[in-house]
Amino acid sequence: MTQSSSSPSSAARFHFLLRRLHSLSGLVPVGVFLCFHLFTNFQMLTGDFQHEVDFIHAMPALFYVELALWLSIGFHAALGCYYTFSGVKPNAAAYNYESNYRYVLQRVTGIIALVFIFIHVAHFRWRIEMFGVLMPFYAKGPGGEDLATATTAMSLQHIGATIFYLVGALSAVFHFANGLWTMAITWGVTITVGAQRRWGKMCLGLGVVLALFTIGALIGAWRYEITDTERAAFEALQQGAETMKGH
Amino acid sequence: MPDRTIQLKIKRQDDQSASPYWQTFSIPYRPNMNVISCLQYIAAHPTTADGTETTPVVWDCSCLEEVCGACTMVINGEVRQSCSALVDRLLEEDDSIKLEPMTKFPVVRDLFVDRSRLFEDLKKTQGWVPIDGLYSLGPGPWESPAKQDTRYDLSRCMSCGCCLEVCPQYTRNNNFVGAAVISQVRYFNTHPIGANNAAERLNAMMEPGGISDCGNAQNCVKVCPKDIPLTESIADVGRMTTIHSIKQFFRGE
Ligand code: SF4
Ligand code: SF4
Ligand code: FES
Repeated sequence: MTQSSSSPSSAARFHFLLRRLHSLSGLVPVGVFLCFHLFTNFQMLTGDFQHEVDFIHAMPALFYVELALWLSIGFHAALGCYYTFSGVKPNAAAYNYESNYRYVLQRVTGIIALVFIFIHVAHFRWRIEMFGVLMPFYAKGPGGEDLATATTAMSLQHIGATIFYLVGALSAVFHFANGLWTMAITWGVTITVGAQRRWGKMCLGLGVVLALFTIGALIGAWRYEITDTERAAFEALQQGAETMKGH
Repeated sequence: MPDRTIQLKIKRQDDQSASPYWQTFSIPYRPNMNVISCLQYIAAHPTTADGTETTPVVWDCSCLEEVCGACTMVINGEVRQSCSALVDRLLEEDDSIKLEPMTKFPVVRDLFVDRSRLFEDLKKTQGWVPIDGLYSLGPGPWESPAKQDTRYDLSRCMSCGCCLEVCPQYTRNNNFVGAAVISQVRYFNTHPIGANNAAERLNAMMEPGGISDCGNAQNCVKVCPKDIPLTESIADVGRMTTIHSIKQFFRGE
């Protein structure tokens, strides 16, 4: 036996590493970020949302944190799309097992979540008008007024926006919870059928909690009463944005 | 009921590149028939239901007792062995029987497919225990009954290809090895002598088309006629490659 046969070929190393990094990136950092984000959103219901937002905005090197997140999501999404669209053959219609539906859903929700995340960030964070809709988010007004909760509520108090957020965020939640389940198989953590079932229940539990956070946030947004001062501050910001664009 | 007949709809194909076509055959019913005996009748009387003479339908088989896997085909939309597909049972669910070749392998003719890809993949992953040498190697190490039990289940794979037929990740235009081969890696890597070549098998498993191309749809385990715990094998080989690659990273070349 030659020495070289005990180490993998470079093609094997590369392929395997990419696949495993794809798996890992779904948990760290993307999945962990999703959990924190949905927990933050849930504060729309408890009334601590502004406090959470201020805390996040006070984070050091926020730009780099965001950049790292975008790179991770981009990596996870690009590889995921490549794996999905390079010659697999979903067959849930012919073989209608529950796990086979989840296999298909995992891929569908991944794509929905990707489109959703992009539109969501474009509206909220970059304040870009898309499809004739602009839903900007502002943490503070021109005079330092708290606007985080109010601007979020303004955006979400439309039935279309609410459905869009529900479908997008719940897709991301399913994709994460089911991904966590398959990840344990991929890495060889859960081997027996029993272990896979038990871990599956825990992933389901996590998914339900994250879904409740999402629904809670939306209820919070609908229940919030936007005051006239908040509206005026928002208008002022919009005017400012208009004149900025005019330059 | 002596004049009762059975309808068989068969998807036929003259050679690998020809386009498929359907033919219906009507054959006399006898009790306790299986799909192979229907095909034998058609071979002896190659006339379609509307009375046209045709060529005999080609299929593959050998053991006739569900241990060789050669006769695997898609029967009423479900992939399984035709020798153990009992006509009485099939007629309980449907009034006719539909036979198609497996879709994941090239068709040689009619219902006969070429499964060599599976055997090539077993070769790539060293699906054997090397014991040839210049001198007697003596008896192998003792194996615990518990381990024997686990490995016995894995040993029953007959390379029929059912698990590959239903796998969404296994297609004609990629090189995924599929559940059967992954399970055989586990089988030979947990064999006390086979374990000597564990690293080579795991290296092969890390190649494109190896373990990481599984998408965890878990269809394979549902259709395996030998009830092999394929998803446990996939997870176990996943663990083996995790450990192997970490070791490789820290102390390999
Ligand atoms: S694992 Fe089962 S389904 Fe797959 S080839 Fe072996 S016997 Fe057939
Ligand atoms: S778990 Fe799914 S993707 Fe993996 S080998 Fe089995 S059928 Fe194919
Ligand atoms: S002929 Fe061997 S399995 Fe059917």
